[in-house]
Amino acid sequence: MTAADEAAELPDRSNGHPTNGLDETVHQRHRLGILTIAAEAESADFGYLRDALGLTPGNLSRHLTVLEEAGLIKVDKGYEGKRPRTWVSITGAGRSALAAELAALTELLRRHSAPQPLI
Amino acid sequence: MTGESVEPDPVPEASAEVGPADAAGLLKEMRLLRRNARSARHAYWFPLVLFSLLTFAAIPFYVMPTFKGGIYASAGPSMPILGGAPGFAVQNYLGYYWLAALLGGLALTLWWYRRHARRTGLKTPSRGYLITVAALTGVALIIPLLAHFRPFRFLYVAVPGDLVIRGTFPFLIIAIGLCVLAWAERSRALGLIALIYTGTALVASLYDVENVLFRLGWNPSPNQWQLTDLPNVLLPAVVLLAAGVGAFLVQRKQRRVA
Repeated sequence: MTAADEAAELPDRSNGHPTNGLDETVHQRHRLGILTIAAEAESADFGYLRDALGLTPGNLSRHLTVLEEAGLIKVDKGYEGKRPRTWVSITGAGRSALAAELAALTELLRRHSAPQPLI
Repeated sequence: MTGESVEPDPVPEASAEVGPADAAGLLKEMRLLRRNARSARHAYWFPLVLFSLLTFAAIPFYVMPTFKGGIYASAGPSMPILGGAPGFAVQNYLGYYWLAALLGGLALTLWWYRRHARRTGLKTPSRGYLITVAALTGVALIIPLLAHFRPFRFLYVAVPGDLVIRGTFPFLIIAIGLCVLAWAERSRALGLIALIYTGTALVASLYDVENVLFRLGWNPSPNQWQLTDLPNVLLPAVVLLAAGVGAFLVQRKQRRVA
C-alpha cells in the first residue's frame, strides 16, 4: 500500500471544527498511547505497552486487535527461547493517523485558548 | 496477542464529546508516554565507551616508527584511508587494526542494542547506523584498491588527503556513525556529543595537537619524540570516554527514577 493509498483511507480532516479531525479508532486514550509509544521506537514489546499504559493483558490485546484491523499497527509474534514475545510496530498509516490526531487536539486547544471576540 | 490465550476485557470507546480540558490532558499524557519511551530506549553510553576503548587500544599503532637514514622504518600500511598515508609516521597494520575495530565495534554495538531491546521492551532502529558505518568503512577500504587501476586513478584526487594522512580518518567514520545513532535514538544529548566529537575528530585529522602541548611547556626528550602523535589520538578518545561515562551515569539515574 502506498502512502497515498494510506492517506486516502484516513478520514477527511480538511475543514470545520477540530473535533471533526478526531478519529474514534485513534482517539481512544489507550489506543492513542499505543500509537504514541510505537511511534517512538522501531517496535514496542507487549509487556512494555501493558506496563506503560497500566492495562490488563486482555484489554491491551483487544486494543491491539482494533488498531491492527485498522492497519495502523503491525503485530509480530515470536519466541525468545521458550518465552512468547509480541512486538508491535506502527505502520505508515498509523503514523499519519497519530499525527492527524495530535494536530487536531492541538488545534482544539489553540482555538479554546485564543482570546474570544467581544461580540 | 502475547502468544498465550487471554480473555479480552471490555474496551471503553472514545467519547464523541471532546473539550479543551480533555485535549490538554490527553496531549500531556502522550508527551509523558513519549518522554518515558524515549528515555527507556536511550542506551548510547555503550558505543561511546566502546569506541573510546578501541581508540585507546590503537595507541601502540600511533607510536612513531624508528627514523633511520631519512625515512621511517615503517613503510606505512596498504590501507591509506584507514591507516594513514604511506610513509607517514604511523605503524604498519594501523589500517588493519581499524578495519577490525570498526567492524567489531559495529557488531558489538548492534548486539548491545538488541540486548537492550530485550530488556526494556523497546527496539531502537539500528539499520541506518549499520549501513552508514559499514558503507563508510567499505568505501575507505575499496577506494585505495581501486585507485591502483588506471581508470580509477582520479579517486586518489577525490580523497581529501589532509583528512587521512595522520591515520585518524576512522575517527570521522565513528563521528558520522554517532550522528546517525543520535537521529535513531532521537537524542539531543547524543547529537551534541556527536557534534563535539566530530569537531574533535576534525582537529585531530587536520592539526598536530602536540603543538598545543609544546606551547604549554611539553619538551619531549629524544625518547619521547616517538610519542608526539599520541595527543591526536588521546584527545578524541578522552572526549568519547568522558561522554560515555557521563551518559552511563545519567541513564542509570533515569532508570532508577522510572
